[in-house]
Amino acid sequence: MIASILGVGTSLFGRQQALHPSELVWRAVAEALDDAGCPDIDAVFLGTVFGAPGVAQRALHPLGITGVPIVTVENACASGTSAFHEAVAAVKHGRYKHVLAVGVEKMTDEFVGPIVPENTDTEGRAGLALPALYAMAASRYLAVHDVTQRDLAGVAVKNHTNGSLNPRSKGRPVPTVDDVLASRMIADPLTLLQCCPLSDGAAAVVVGPPDADGDHVVGVRASIMRSGGPWDQRSDDAWGFELIRDAAAELYEAAALGPRDFDVIECHDAFTIGEIVTTEALGLRPRGEGATLIRNGTTSLSGPIPVNPSGGLLSRGHPLGATGLAQIAEIVWQLTGRAGDRQVDNARLGLVETMGGGVSGIDGNACVIVALER
Amino acid sequence: MIAVMSDAIAHRSELEQPDPRPRLSPDHSSRQLRGWRCSECGIARAVHAPWCPDCSAQLLVADFGPLGTVWSSTVVHLNIADIPAPYGLAYIDLDDGPRFLAHIDGAEEPLLVGGRVTISGINERGDIEVTSIATSRETS
Repeated sequence: MIASILGVGTSLFGRQQALHPSELVWRAVAEALDDAGCPDIDAVFLGTVFGAPGVAQRALHPLGITGVPIVTVENACASGTSAFHEAVAAVKHGRYKHVLAVGVEKMTDEFVGPIVPENTDTEGRAGLALPALYAMAASRYLAVHDVTQRDLAGVAVKNHTNGSLNPRSKGRPVPTVDDVLASRMIADPLTLLQCCPLSDGAAAVVVGPPDADGDHVVGVRASIMRSGGPWDQRSDDAWGFELIRDAAAELYEAAALGPRDFDVIECHDAFTIGEIVTTEALGLRPRGEGATLIRNGTTSLSGPIPVNPSGGLLSRGHPLGATGLAQIAEIVWQLTGRAGDRQVDNARLGLVETMGGGVSGIDGNACVIVALER
Repeated sequence: MIAVMSDAIAHRSELEQPDPRPRLSPDHSSRQLRGWRCSECGIARAVHAPWCPDCSAQLLVADFGPLGTVWSSTVVHLNIADIPAPYGLAYIDLDDGPRFLAHIDGAEEPLLVGGRVTISGINERGDIEVTSIATSRETS
């Protein structure tokens, strides 16, 4: 172990216009501190993408978290897990004893629909919104791999089914494959129910020394962060595949584990195709064969390797900074037998993967992958 | 490095916001993409960089296209920023050239993956447009 998770907490997820960003943080941090037995916090890393300047200190000082170093981290959709990765590194290297990782995003303060593409970016300026970026991967997969539109829809059905068991997710009613395919077209071939909804939320994790003990303590076996490499005419892989694959290879080496060793996985399913590409990049199936995991139920809640038991981003929504830490909270609850109706039996090893993008020319801004062990 | 950067911004007016998108060549009736090729490793690029990010050698101006192949394609049905929906996008691998993001000239449907296209010009908001070559659906 390189560190421990002493406690986790989250707000509810979904549209919460009436809550101040600080109030979202208070709910998450209060639960995480309580879960951890209220240790003194020596430093804070807070992940956010669109948070206002000072969002961390503004939310933390009313909690009495003052004086200690506070650093705000932006790494697109992987901002929360990037904050976690830095918290773990700080503890691992003995810089601090107890570090709080927090993520928050009040998406409804910023957007009414999808994230507006970045005007200073080559492809953002040309109108490549994030649903379109993932649609490009889906378009390629439908054309060259054994993936159908019904497979894509199957990811949404699986994750909405899981999400219906998650009391923190203001999920939609569970759709059928036909419902998913009949929902409004967003970017061909991705329909509305294949896209994560606009959502507000916060999540928090208390990281402590590797030798910590307690009923709720989970070990951090390894944590890896990489940024993307060139994505251009030399690549025949969907955007993000190579980055996730390389980060996973590093993780498996550091953790002395392989892809089939994990009992439960939370991965980045911002769009249905994302889960298929990611499960392939993690090595659960060879490239181009990820849809079989959906077809034969391998990754369903009752299958041998449940993926996104929380309902994932498709159900919870995607408050960018909060997402990665909400994934970690879910795996901690799974490994400590506190996941309620969506509990995976005898889960001992869990994996979290978060993927952030938006910069054209590379296959991702950041990918963080974490191996947790009970 | 400073010389390289000055060269890249030499023709920009002081009041103009930098446009990060690929542009068309001023030559050849504007049907070619004005990009760069590395003087050492030969990699083709659609957007500028201070040096070749792969091998650090000098990048030289080069024109690519107009013909290319569709790597993937979508039609966006959302009103985003200043672009009225629907609008078509495609990643195009220009022959012996770079991959770049093009707008589809007048498309209601995505282009066929693997289909052949040609650069047809530039739209009013400054995006390079491509159009299918008629035989692409039969041959790919």
